[in-house]
Amino acid sequence: MAYVKLTTLRKIVFSLAGVALMLFAGISFYRIRHLKEPVVLGQGVTQVKKLSDYFKGIKGTINDSYVYMLEGEEAGGTVLVIGGTHPEEPAARLAAWIFTENALLEQGKLLVILSANRSATTVTRLGGAYPPDYTIETPWGGQKFRMGDRWSNPLDQWPDPEVYIHYPSRQELAYIDIRNLNRTWPGRPNGTLTEKTCFAIIQLIKEENVDIAIDLHEAELQYPVISTIVAHQNGQDLAAMASMMISGMEGFDIGMENSPEALHGLSHREIGDHTDAISLLLEAPEPMLDATRGRTDRALLLEGKDEFIVKAGKHGLLFEKMDENGWPIDKRVGRHCSTILQIIELWSEEHQEKALIIKNVPRYKEIIAKGTGAFLHNPATAASNRIKYE
Amino acid sequence: MFTSTQIILAVMVAVYIVAKVFKISTELSLFLAAISGALAGGAGIPARHIVEGAFTYLDICLIFITATLFMNLFKESGGVAFVIRGILTKFYRHKSILFILITFLLLLPGALTGAGSVTVLITGGMIAVVLNYMGIPKPKTAAIIFILAGLSAAAPPVSLWAMLTAAGVNMPYVGFFLPLLIPCILLALLTIFILGWKAKPANLEKALQELPASPRGMNWLKIILPFSVFFFLVVAGRIWPFSFPILGLPLMFIISATVTIIISPAKLNILKISRETVEQLLPLIGTLTCVGILVQIMTLTGVRGLIAITVVTLPLTAVILSMSVVLPVSEAVLMWGAAPVLGVPLVLLFNTIGLNPIIALAGMSIIWPLGDALPPTAIIGRLTKDTIGMKEPYSQMLKYCIIPAILIIIAGICMVLFSKELSFLTML
Repeated sequence: MAYVKLTTLRKIVFSLAGVALMLFAGISFYRIRHLKEPVVLGQGVTQVKKLSDYFKGIKGTINDSYVYMLEGEEAGGTVLVIGGTHPEEPAARLAAWIFTENALLEQGKLLVILSANRSATTVTRLGGAYPPDYTIETPWGGQKFRMGDRWSNPLDQWPDPEVYIHYPSRQELAYIDIRNLNRTWPGRPNGTLTEKTCFAIIQLIKEENVDIAIDLHEAELQYPVISTIVAHQNGQDLAAMASMMISGMEGFDIGMENSPEALHGLSHREIGDHTDAISLLLEAPEPMLDATRGRTDRALLLEGKDEFIVKAGKHGLLFEKMDENGWPIDKRVGRHCSTILQIIELWSEEHQEKALIIKNVPRYKEIIAKGTGAFLHNPATAASNRIKYE
Repeated sequence: MFTSTQIILAVMVAVYIVAKVFKISTELSLFLAAISGALAGGAGIPARHIVEGAFTYLDICLIFITATLFMNLFKESGGVAFVIRGILTKFYRHKSILFILITFLLLLPGALTGAGSVTVLITGGMIAVVLNYMGIPKPKTAAIIFILAGLSAAAPPVSLWAMLTAAGVNMPYVGFFLPLLIPCILLALLTIFILGWKAKPANLEKALQELPASPRGMNWLKIILPFSVFFFLVVAGRIWPFSFPILGLPLMFIISATVTIIISPAKLNILKISRETVEQLLPLIGTLTCVGILVQIMTLTGVRGLIAITVVTLPLTAVILSMSVVLPVSEAVLMWGAAPVLGVPLVLLFNTIGLNPIIALAGMSIIWPLGDALPPTAIIGRLTKDTIGMKEPYSQMLKYCIIPAILIIIAGICMVLFSKELSFLTML
């Protein structure tokens, strides 16, 4: 009898503990999925469209993301900046944010997507122990952002196949990459949510006659493709020139690599193959993605300091230098901003009729000096019709 | 950071050992180790991380449950008895043909799905009965099925260790077919012939007498149909990937189970079989859930990184030699999580020193599944023991695994060492 009572008590205690865990975790998951990230539309933003304006098939889905259009008075070329392909690489989104809130176009058109895979911003990696969010300090307080993952949220796209077969190449990839926006280019209209998202962006590129598409990323330091511009063959000269100019003028080094022809599904390969746009992908170093990282927390994400990775560097296991100063977020955001600006400036010099003249975007040194937050605007003081929520 | 993380690791290990000493189940011991790690790391009781970690292997749990339900329904319908009687009657005199046939039957399900558990659940039980009637004791039978199930999981086209590691280093999953297929087939044949060397042609009359009778109305069509449906669904996704809907393995098993119910000559108590299936799998599902939590907390506190950095910064000779222990042990603790934790840095290391990363990763991929027999999880090992109804101590099975395991480890390490010379296998 006593044993039965004890067993019942144990079951009750475990059940209550389970319910409590579910409750606390559930609240956290819900809050992050519904966290509103304000975007204060800069003076340069002339229109805000959605991906469904280019492909109806994505309307009503979580990935019907905003496309911010910044247009100069004078006609010129068109550049697309893609942030949030992999939301777990925050410098990519933050750099795109800075362009949206600050850039002024005198000539040409700049299109910016902050959450290319919005679904992936609403989940964190299982087993990855990511913080659910992070805060960028600004002069007017902190602005909170969703941490996100590399893959679309299974709540939005599930189940996965046993093996992912890429369209249209039929290349076999890891099953989980069917939810990876940078493995599903060029996408297809009747595919999965992630494939439809790529298809929508491809339609945007075609309809808006985009000249250059720049996909922003971050990479672990143990990954050979890091601190570099990966270029489709149609953009090799531009990328090589940008690499040289940046190394000479901006205060940091960046390499240039050719997009492998046999590696399918990536933006630098498929955008170039399936549209007329020059396709480039930028990689900045993000220590939090390294498999040998130590404690996983917001500090690592934003400061980029980690003793374990320093040790890996001392053993020659890294493809980018790593010291006790780490890779703070401002450095990573600054790299992206300067690289985009250099690419556009070089393009504009060579293509006067398709030039873009962009003002008011901070470069690498300025972002390091003032911090990323200095270039985020206060939604509390902005007109309500000039705020969008990602 | 090093010292504090080492202390957290020590606390986790100590709590796990103490829990085991007090005879707390493996899954709860893992859970307690995870909680103690979080507390020692100053994270308190991180509800979000515990729940998130618990979901890491949700898909695999669903595969386990639905595949086992399918097989249990098939067994209750009399299908297993019918098949065993059929195979024995046809091949009882030809040991070698029977072994080759068995190797094929054991390699196929895992190769197609990437999960050794599917091999154990789909064909393992039936094959075990055949092997037993050939005079192979149950621990040896379990060892054969376990080793071949592991090789089937590593075999192409779906090898999750290779795929997850390749994804982690942004390497396309191409060029792996022959580097995985050749060692898997050779090692599987070696295993079955070595462990089954003393097998005798089955005593047909006696075996048929002992075997349960198959129900009236059962025939080969009813046997083949549910499996054909399953394999059709798997293959259809490959042939028509852009027009065939993505069903996922759990739904494929449910559809096959439904076919089994519809065509079964015996009346099946679906509720009872479902309940028994879940009860049968509860320890495994519990272990998987708690391993997910453990990995999450290890990552949160830096313990995962500590283990990874310690391994990859050993001298190169030590790294390669230690793979014989490190890979199976990492699999035992992290399961497929071992691929991103250790596989990624190791492949990057091999790539840096000029080895062929595809061949090296294929070599590692055949070693990893050996860890599925080791504690604390021993998922596939325990599943094999349960599925074939082995009553002897688990260590008996492990004893028979030693020789094939040594051969697999030697083959895997040779593939890493001679990866440049073997690079022609990639056909790239």
